[in-house]
Amino acid sequence: MRKTFHQELKELKGEVLRMGQLVTEQIDDGVKALVKADEKLVAKVIDGDDEIDDITIAVEEQGLALLARQAPVAVDLRLIQSLMFIAVHLERMGDLALNIAKAARKTTVKSEGSPELIGLINKMGKKVHKVVDASLDAFDRKDCVLAQKLPEMGEPIDALFKQFFKELTKSTDEESLEWASNMVLASRYLERIADHAVDIGERVCYLVTGEFQEFSDQEQ
Amino acid sequence: MNGDTFKINVEHLDFHYGDFFALEDISVGIRQYATTAFIGPSGCGKSTFLRCLNRMNDLIPETKVEGKITLDGNDIYAPDVDTASLRRRVGMIFQAPNPFPMSIYDNVAYGPRIHGTTNKAQLDEIVEKSLTRAALWKEVSGKLNTSGLALSGGQQQRLCIARVIAVDPEVLLMDEPCSAIDPTSIQKIEDLMDELKSKYTIVIVTHNMQQAARVSDWTAFFLAEHADRPAKLIEYDKTDTMFTNPSDKRTEDYITGRFG
Repeated sequence: MRKTFHQELKELKGEVLRMGQLVTEQIDDGVKALVKADEKLVAKVIDGDDEIDDITIAVEEQGLALLARQAPVAVDLRLIQSLMFIAVHLERMGDLALNIAKAARKTTVKSEGSPELIGLINKMGKKVHKVVDASLDAFDRKDCVLAQKLPEMGEPIDALFKQFFKELTKSTDEESLEWASNMVLASRYLERIADHAVDIGERVCYLVTGEFQEFSDQEQ
Repeated sequence: MNGDTFKINVEHLDFHYGDFFALEDISVGIRQYATTAFIGPSGCGKSTFLRCLNRMNDLIPETKVEGKITLDGNDIYAPDVDTASLRRRVGMIFQAPNPFPMSIYDNVAYGPRIHGTTNKAQLDEIVEKSLTRAALWKEVSGKLNTSGLALSGGQQQRLCIARVIAVDPEVLLMDEPCSAIDPTSIQKIEDLMDELKSKYTIVIVTHNMQQAARVSDWTAFFLAEHADRPAKLIEYDKTDTMFTNPSDKRTEDYITGRFG
């Protein structure tokens, strides 16, 4: 029994799951910072991103070290590869959450935007949170069935994203147009985050079955 | 590389050592010009199975073989088979290098002489060709008359490979060929195996799973699930598949070290 190795592998998985939790919080904070134009929250998200970046590098280093030292095979090999891929997806999701928070700084009008758009972005944020949670849960439990549901869970997010453009056309002056444009941009970031969650789901099924299959492309 | 011609075909092989039922119902095709690795825990019968392939087990009293093994379609256990000639075609390299206590030249020339080659020029040619193929010629060409036992362990093992090659075999059976030699020599033998498989069919038994993963095209996993039960062939597939996505849970547990 390779106790030490499997313990190290378990710890590495724990790190990736912890990273997933941090990213989920960053998404929530990013959306909150944007809709409330809360500078303190923006700063918090910026700080939080450093920790996520650090974990990504640590996961990559530890993953490489395990590959080199332990020469893992079969499910162990697939797990390490998946951990390294998932960490990269999470890191990008973190960057997108950061972009959402930073969008708050680009607006000149503070907290006076259209309630429809604020409602939409809040709703979208909640749905994205759910998809990301489900992707992490599928990964944690090696649940390919749940992972395969992720594209379907992402569909309403794509639909919401399209609604933003309709709302954008309602802007009457330059300031509100600028504010609304930032919201559209943020919704695009959210939609991209959900795509990364679907990619994590694909990795989960690869981990479980050993065969890589792309889920249907939700952007089409 | 992974040619689909079967050089050796084994069908429903059972093997007994006296009362002990060692191998049960093994069926496997060994592909020509490829390297096939047998892996499994100690006592799983992989070396026993290897020795069935050139009837080396005949030398052990009270063994019983049932089932069929063919080499190029011909039954190697048929009554008219000459085992000396079979073992020339299906040569074996053992765990510990075992050069004869004679010169390097005589070690390599031993087999051809037994099989009737006496012409000096012809023997010279065979010795040079065999040592070259065994990646040893450059190191020993200037000292062919020194004792084979004076070589390092890794060189001795390559000398043994040259000795087998000298009788122009078709299949090389290797029983843990690297377990008694240093890492640099292991590297040389593994490189050598890669070159040799273009001319020979190679079967290797190894405890070192990473070695199996490195050198073989096909891997067979043997396991005796209970101490008093015979070993069986659990899974046999392309090495890439066996080491990334094996089908059988028992294979996965073994290669990922989850046994015991």
